[in-house]
Amino acid sequence: MLIYTINRILQLIPIVLILSFIVFMMVEALPGDIIDTMGGMEAGSIDATTRAALEKELGLDQPWYVRYGWWLGDIVQGEFGKSLVTRRPVALELIERIPATLYLAAVGIGLSLIIAIPFGTIAAVRRNSITDYSAQVTSLIGISIPEFWFAILSILVFSLYFGVLPSSGYVGPGEDFGLSIWYLILPAVAIGFRQAAYTTRLTRSSMLDEINKDYVVTHRSLGLPEHKVIYKYTLRNALIPTVTIAGLQFANLLGGTVVLETIFAWPGIGLTIYQAIQLRDFPVIQAGILILGFKVVIINLLVDLLYRVLNPRVGIGS
Amino acid sequence: MSDASNKWGGGLNRREFLAASAAAGAMAAGMPSMARAAPKRGGTLRYATRSDGRGLDPHRNFVYYVSHPMALTTMGLVDLGKDMSLQPGVAESWESSADLMKWTFRLRQGAEYHNNRTIDAESVVWNINRIMDPAIGSSFARSAIGDVERAEADGKLLVHFYLKRPSAVMPANLVYYPINLIAPDTPNPDEHPYGCGAFKFKSWKRYAKTELLRFENYFETGEDGKSLPYLDAVDAYPKAEDKVRLTALRAGEVDMIENMSFFDAPDFAENEADKYDIWKSPQVGLAHFNIQAKSGPFAMSGGEDAKLLRQAVVHAIDKEAVHQVVFNGLGEKMNTFYASESPWHLPDVKAGPEYDPEKTRFILRKLNMANMPIAVVSQNAYQYMRNGAEILHAMLLEAGFAATNEVFDNPVLTAKYDKNDYGIDSTASSFRFDPDGHYARWFRSDAPNNLQRTGFANERVDKLVDEAAATTDMNLRKEMYTEVDNIVNDECVFIYHHTVPLTGASVKSLKGYEPQLTGGPNYRGGGVRTAYFDNVV
Repeated sequence: MLIYTINRILQLIPIVLILSFIVFMMVEALPGDIIDTMGGMEAGSIDATTRAALEKELGLDQPWYVRYGWWLGDIVQGEFGKSLVTRRPVALELIERIPATLYLAAVGIGLSLIIAIPFGTIAAVRRNSITDYSAQVTSLIGISIPEFWFAILSILVFSLYFGVLPSSGYVGPGEDFGLSIWYLILPAVAIGFRQAAYTTRLTRSSMLDEINKDYVVTHRSLGLPEHKVIYKYTLRNALIPTVTIAGLQFANLLGGTVVLETIFAWPGIGLTIYQAIQLRDFPVIQAGILILGFKVVIINLLVDLLYRVLNPRVGIGS
Repeated sequence: MSDASNKWGGGLNRREFLAASAAAGAMAAGMPSMARAAPKRGGTLRYATRSDGRGLDPHRNFVYYVSHPMALTTMGLVDLGKDMSLQPGVAESWESSADLMKWTFRLRQGAEYHNNRTIDAESVVWNINRIMDPAIGSSFARSAIGDVERAEADGKLLVHFYLKRPSAVMPANLVYYPINLIAPDTPNPDEHPYGCGAFKFKSWKRYAKTELLRFENYFETGEDGKSLPYLDAVDAYPKAEDKVRLTALRAGEVDMIENMSFFDAPDFAENEADKYDIWKSPQVGLAHFNIQAKSGPFAMSGGEDAKLLRQAVVHAIDKEAVHQVVFNGLGEKMNTFYASESPWHLPDVKAGPEYDPEKTRFILRKLNMANMPIAVVSQNAYQYMRNGAEILHAMLLEAGFAATNEVFDNPVLTAKYDKNDYGIDSTASSFRFDPDGHYARWFRSDAPNNLQRTGFANERVDKLVDEAAATTDMNLRKEMYTEVDNIVNDECVFIYHHTVPLTGASVKSLKGYEPQLTGGPNYRGGGVRTAYFDNVV
């Protein structure tokens, strides 16, 4: 297991390097430049003197490969530079956002798994029963309803009609844990409901595949209790695709909740990167996307390692 | 020119100033009345705004006085009144030399920055020099003091501004938007600015929350004779979406919102006026269409045919349709910059070509340019700009142009401006405290905005704009600007079409608050500075 883990970690290095290059070049290719955005709509044109001074100060007078070298060198030392817009350290800009995104994504996915695994399992075990049909219809509804619509509806019901939950905003768990949960409920449910819909269907079909396999028949013929057959042996194998998808969903959520972040005024990293793109704040975009990419790589690593835990045969011989 | 004539308000004499105040008072009729009870001190105002600042240093970043939470921390030599008239700020008075080449500002004694350093003349000069530094000062701030050759301290309380050319409008350019003062010994203004406004900075989580605290040594005093503001703190929450902001107010999560959408405002005012005070501000800015006349078929250099073609565009524009569709019937159709509530409104301006799409088709046929391609563009950040572009696009198609419509973010749009790669831009300008801020920025042939975006050039306009800027008589200036607008409307490069109104709202327990004419919350003797909660314990 240790060698397998080390091998997988070593494989990450070239991936991260390629990722850094792609991120840098994609940002370079964005049309428009930061200097034009610095004055905003009010400023009119930036005069030549200001442009020259800013280009020099921001290092934009250097060719891309020099800037890529500087950037990579700084990243290796843990230095992300300063935001061209706020002039504050990029790390500070992002560190304020990452916990908010992680918090929302983790609870959203956690919630979806809490819903999806039992429902999917029960639906498979009681195939073609009312429970199965209910689970299928509910998950179909979940897949069909856009997240933003569900979010707006939730706000309407729980914030405006009943007044029991806040409609928008964010409180960090470190500031006031109880209050932070209060603010988290609606966005997490909005995420969790839709993700649960996918995962329920997947868990159900995966369970159905497993439940008819020979080893399950063997366990049953040995007289093992049904709940042990299902929950100890079958579910464990059936969870591999579920874990894969949950990992991918989690990775997606880390950078892909801009709409929900806007609706709930949730200061997440997705919205921050989107706004940085609008302002051509290159260091924030580069660092943000790199961090998100790195997170995806790490999540994939963890999913791979989890496969090994769920099924020790995975990776043997590799 | 007598010194007295240009004190207290950029060319407004006492009679004009009173007339302007009366006009603003009339405008305010129908607004919820201010409470009469003695203001209570304490409490935290939870305030939801449309946008957030780009950074904390108010010299590097423009701090928009209507929408940015940090605007509540700012103050300059000159302050504003409710009607947008110029009021004493850090400077208690100002006067000019007879030739308008030198302005002297007398600072109030004992005013302090948020780090408790006294505001003296040297520190003001340090601020001006820092803003004028191209590597630091934002373009907008530098353009406000572009006429300043140098600033000099004279003792502790006098600051002299020596100008490059005569200017009667210098005080208007030194209003806290955008010329903010910060303490020279501020260690890092990007992290923690020490300004001198009614509230001081505590913390900032961009796009999430800005915490401000009452500045205990702020120089304005309240009804109790003690320092304003009455509130202990302001927690501001930027919530970009109009619906999100309004929902937060209705759900009781904030006490005040800066603006709601044009489409929510009428219903909200009709159905919820018993629960909230609703603030209708007639003009936070002006929406206009800019024809790209630097080159191509509309070029100013293109002679009569090009002018005719520009007029064909204006004949295609139904301002009433824009009024209804884009602004939901709120605000006012315009042929000039200032709305009818403003003392600077110019009632005698002649409208440009009337709406008559038949004339457009006729002109296009006459010039053999039927189905002429024309690219309408707008910026993605503001809905009314996008919606204005959509309806303009439809009207141009209907009138016989082969119009396209594209929305861009600011950097891409700026690149298109630089390359003359567009036909008409649906855009807007924010309110200007003095008309020179609008006319000199958009119509002088050497103005950066003009050079980059429209290419408008007219010698008579150049002369009038310069003369108006060097004239202290308000009526004379209004005559000059009327003539400028007549020329502008005839040339059809810059097409005025509508005010940008603003509707804010606050909970009933918030007393002593009214926004400015333009919706801004931070002004002398009012706004958030005099706001208080009547239920504070």
